[in-house]
Amino acid sequence: MAKSLGIFVTTKESFPHVLGITQAAKNKGVKVKVFFTWIATQLTQHPDFQKLCEIADDVSICVDSYKKQGFDPQVIPPGLTEKKMATQAQHGIIIEDYDCYLSL
Amino acid sequence: MKILNVYRSKPDETVQKLVEIVSRDREADSFALYEEKPDYDQLVDKIFAADQTICWW
Amino acid sequence: MSEYKKVCLMYRHPDYAIDGIRSALGLAVENMYAYGVVLDTTLPPFDDNTVESIEMLRDMEGDILSTVPANCEVNSLTPITLEELGEKLREMTHIVPYGIR
Repeated sequence: MAKSLGIFVTTKESFPHVLGITQAAKNKGVKVKVFFTWIATQLTQHPDFQKLCEIADDVSICVDSYKKQGFDPQVIPPGLTEKKMATQAQHGIIIEDYDCYLSL
Repeated sequence: MKILNVYRSKPDETVQKLVEIVSRDREADSFALYEEKPDYDQLVDKIFAADQTICWW
Repeated sequence: MSEYKKVCLMYRHPDYAIDGIRSALGLAVENMYAYGVVLDTTLPPFDDNTVESIEMLRDMEGDILSTVPANCEVNSLTPITLEELGEKLREMTHIVPYGIR
């Protein structure tokens, strides 16, 4: 079995799936990286967002999208650090470096 | 080449057409994410058994 | 060294298309072949930023295409049929149905 999974999140509606898949993958010893872009950056306000950050190995968001969605980039959502307020390069990392890829 | 087609909603005609072409002469599996209480454990197994996963709208 | 990734993003909802185009450009900058395809929806004329993004993407051997003739006329997207898109997807290492439909 391959050892890593990258998830690119573009929709708000997918959050339960992102959480469910991440949890199931972690239970199997898989490394999981999640990147949120555009409208999906609103999910930083989801009550379970911090939980996802704790379960996954790496969670980051597109800070430019976050700003365009009306949030202040200086206000870092619980679960993230300044370094995780990132760019589309994170999507590139998922594609290049992870064994399996999902877009949700 | 093994393809896993994951459906986030019930596939419409456009998705069906694209899946048909992409899966032609290839081994293909599917998973309906829109159904109630999806089995994420099974989905993860399918993802790692496939060479490429496509999560259709 | 693995060969270059080929990624196709597809957009069916107007609220997601512009950002999806930006996302395709982001991948091209990371040395991937990146394509974006607009389906179903007719988009208004692009602003200068989006026009510039598409030009940059094309300079990097990527492209933005559409199955909707109006998008090709108004925004100079490259025409493609659904069947041709299906064949193109077969060559991709990553296929991204972006946003909602």
